[in-house]
Amino acid sequence: MTQFSLDDSSVFVVIGSGAGGGVLGNELAQKGHKVVCLEAGRRLEMSDIVNDEAEMFGKLTWLDRRMATGKPDPNFPVWGCKTVGGTTMHWTGACPRFEPHEMRARTTYGALPDTTLVDWPVTPEEIAPWYDKAEVRMGVTGRQGMPFLPPGNNFKVLEAGARKCGYTDIDTHNMAINSIERDDRPSCHQLGFCTSGCAVGAKWSTLYTEIPKAEETGRFELRPECMVTGIELGPDGRVSGVTYLHQGKRVTQKARAVAVAGNVVETTRLLLNNSSDRHPQGLANSSGLVGRNYMRHFTIQVMGVMPGKVHFHRQTHLAGVVRDERGHRPERGFAGGFLISTVPFTPEILAKNMIIGGWGRDLTEVLDKYDQLAGMLLTGEDPPQLSNRITLHPTERDGYGLPVPVIHYEDHPNTIAMKEYAWKAGRRIYEALGAENVIEMGDYIPATHNMGTARMGDDPRASVCTPFGRTHDVANLYIADGSLFPTAGGCNPTLTIVALALRQAQHIDREVAAGRL
Amino acid sequence: MTFTLTRRAVVGKMALAAMLPAIAASPLSAIAATSTPKPTPEEPATAALLHTAFPHARLDAAFYSGAAGRYLAEIAKDPAAMAEHRRGLALLDGSYIAPFAQLPEMVRRSMVARYDQEPFFKALIWRGAELIYRDAAVWKMVGYEGSSVEYGGYIERGFDDIDWLPAAGGAK
Repeated sequence: MTQFSLDDSSVFVVIGSGAGGGVLGNELAQKGHKVVCLEAGRRLEMSDIVNDEAEMFGKLTWLDRRMATGKPDPNFPVWGCKTVGGTTMHWTGACPRFEPHEMRARTTYGALPDTTLVDWPVTPEEIAPWYDKAEVRMGVTGRQGMPFLPPGNNFKVLEAGARKCGYTDIDTHNMAINSIERDDRPSCHQLGFCTSGCAVGAKWSTLYTEIPKAEETGRFELRPECMVTGIELGPDGRVSGVTYLHQGKRVTQKARAVAVAGNVVETTRLLLNNSSDRHPQGLANSSGLVGRNYMRHFTIQVMGVMPGKVHFHRQTHLAGVVRDERGHRPERGFAGGFLISTVPFTPEILAKNMIIGGWGRDLTEVLDKYDQLAGMLLTGEDPPQLSNRITLHPTERDGYGLPVPVIHYEDHPNTIAMKEYAWKAGRRIYEALGAENVIEMGDYIPATHNMGTARMGDDPRASVCTPFGRTHDVANLYIADGSLFPTAGGCNPTLTIVALALRQAQHIDREVAAGRL
Repeated sequence: MTFTLTRRAVVGKMALAAMLPAIAASPLSAIAATSTPKPTPEEPATAALLHTAFPHARLDAAFYSGAAGRYLAEIAKDPAAMAEHRRGLALLDGSYIAPFAQLPEMVRRSMVARYDQEPFFKALIWRGAELIYRDAAVWKMVGYEGSSVEYGGYIERGFDDIDWLPAAGGAK
């Protein structure tokens, strides 16, 4: 097992081991660079992954204290994972690409009031080959020759209803779940439980793909249960090392360069909590934008009590998609669009979602027909707003002694209009098949789609990072997670995080070759 | 330290689990194993409250009593939570000539509707949802089949067996 010295200032330190950090770390190691990957969570073995939502929630979720103002539930304002593999353990595996019109959001949507809509500094043409590479790497179904997954019950209901409503762009979606044996991993066994970690490893997660491959190079050292608290700067203004807590001890690792990929909340906290004379508003925050423009897709649900059995728990969570509402059609009364896909719930999670709206027979009549339920998830674009932001509480501290992050979020009127439309569209799909009852459920539980708090751009006054994800203010400090997204698009973010990480690795490799890193 | 996932390892895990029948659902064990040692004074009203919040015709009084007993045993370790729960039960018991648990269901519903924003009730239904809907007997009742990895998933066990949908291509 490779071990680097704490004094070795030639190593790249990557903070986080999920979609951004796991991929960037592996890619740098493959290109011949030395990498130390620091991960706050534990490293699970395959045998730790069981088909039990409650148990896996405890094993995977970031449960240190967070606070909230505005719309989020103060008890669970944001979802992230604290485990080797990060949210690639919890994600559904859905891999839609950003649409070109979404990457040109400001041009396409115009000036939406109270937003900071921009066009991406990376063009659709520029990112396309990186999407190709990401899809090959992750084995995305329906792409690059990989077969689609087979249609199961919950998807068949969605498809049949959607076709009756006139929708046509429907399939089992582009999923980073093996439809055939590939990459030394089995094909999907339709376990259900995708969001509790895939117990057979058919779903791509960095825990058992990127990280072991990186370790095989002999140039990659994963250090789990290491919570980064500090980023040190040298007299030249460049990052010189990283300080972390491991088993109660404070440790400093010297570094050639650092990439932060802690998912939006932790990335923001690390930057804001590292202020200095040179960086009085927090590290790399001369723009004042670190933590601002926090975006999350809405994830609302519609359940249908169907006329026959569905058994929607018997398959992958996200088992298929209807893309017809994804486009930008302002006549619907909002900018941007949304995806319609499937979702199942266990009886417990369904009950918990429903008791927010009420108790008694309204609840139990639905649960009594659990095996007749079909479920869909509607996920739509969230425009960036300066006022949606993550800050640090001035006095409250968590178990590490770090300031507690405070999540402030409110829906933009565009989001409210899109949700209203989406609920109706979803309801129509199940009613078209004669559903006995249709239940609309709100976004009480946030998705792990966190974005926007260190946006990329060309102008250092209007963005935190360059188009390659390097901070404008510090020459050897990179960001490698969803924080980089200037806008959120109407789709799941992971594939784009991976594509950007691969592109960033090539950029870093070239900077090293050019003697700049 | 590191592991490499192979197909064989996965298949091996499934086979091992399949040989352990104890892992497979044994519907009534959850209730039997956790029945309360001795009923507390709060149990009848707590059971009636859970029954009113989560009324299932196929669950009997003993089921709700068992769930109430487990809930009370949990909050007994937290004096503040128990005090709040007792305050709530006093509200429900104090308003009528009969104790809450002995009121007709319709009256119980209107009583709960009056107090359903109180902390005691919110705490009870949140934890109650876990106690009731994490129970293997309830899973069996509603048709949820639980952990599947030990059976090789649902790929050979009905993931695509739906038979009542309009035929493909029949869309208008």
